[in-house]
Amino acid sequence: MATATYPPPPPYYRLYKDYSENPNSAPEPPPPIEGTYVCFGGNYTTEDVLPSLEEQGVPQLYPKDSNVDYKKELRSLNRELQLHILELADVLVERPSQYAKRIGEISSIFKNLHHLLNSLRPHQARATLIHIMELQIQQRKQAVEDIKRRREEAQRLLKDAFVTLDGQ
Amino acid sequence: MDIISQLQEQVNSIAAITFNAFGTLQRDAPPVQLSPNYPEPAATTTATDDATPFPEQPKQLSAGLVKAAKQFDALVAALPLSEGGEEAQLKRIAELQVENYIIGQELQKQLEAAEKELKQVQELFGQAADNCLNMKKPE
Repeated sequence: MATATYPPPPPYYRLYKDYSENPNSAPEPPPPIEGTYVCFGGNYTTEDVLPSLEEQGVPQLYPKDSNVDYKKELRSLNRELQLHILELADVLVERPSQYAKRIGEISSIFKNLHHLLNSLRPHQARATLIHIMELQIQQRKQAVEDIKRRREEAQRLLKDAFVTLDGQ
Repeated sequence: MDIISQLQEQVNSIAAITFNAFGTLQRDAPPVQLSPNYPEPAATTTATDDATPFPEQPKQLSAGLVKAAKQFDALVAALPLSEGGEEAQLKRIAELQVENYIIGQELQKQLEAAEKELKQVQELFGQAADNCLNMKKPE
């Protein structure tokens, strides 16, 4: 039975020999990468942006506006999808050799649907942030009220104690 | 699961129902007579009579598809899409930040005052305890 050993540590570990005595004698870690980088032969980018449909070579079936009415477009894409599925069933019965075009249209509808849903994500992120901030403000207000109440209670107790002591 | 992920799952399941439906129908379809010259094909006795006879399958599969599509429409209707777009949200976030900062300052003030009073009370308590100890004569 052949077992592979673990890969050796990277050779620059020797540079950190005196790290416990002098932390500045060893090199700093590399700064974070910006822009595009290559990982296992693939190109990746550090910018988190949703690529538009035209860049993926898919026709865009909903109107390209800055404020798209998401609900209406999602519903109409759903209707289109059902129609195309029905058409595919028809084509398979009548002219079975022409299925490829229908399948292409159906897959483009699916890609449009997913693209619309993905473009809703930034909106969802902002809404989540608003919700969290509102919760935090409410908690802070509650904490301020609590502290005020306790301080007043403590002062009252102290006054009572003084009165009791003076009365003796 | 949040609503957008549910919508995405619903889209994927509509796709799954579609290709499963077509695949099942193609796999289970009985043979068809190609031309009037050839005799009618004999119905295979190894038909798929496990759960549903063949004429019912398209009905069931299309009912499943329509149900999934209706579910998708219901989910779309449940989207809490607040109108106003990106700018309104960013404006609201800025307002909330300001309010949060003000409340944070007030909380800090109250906290510092409370800590000061706590120290005073602790000092007083220490003094009182010392006095008590000094006053008690050992028997």
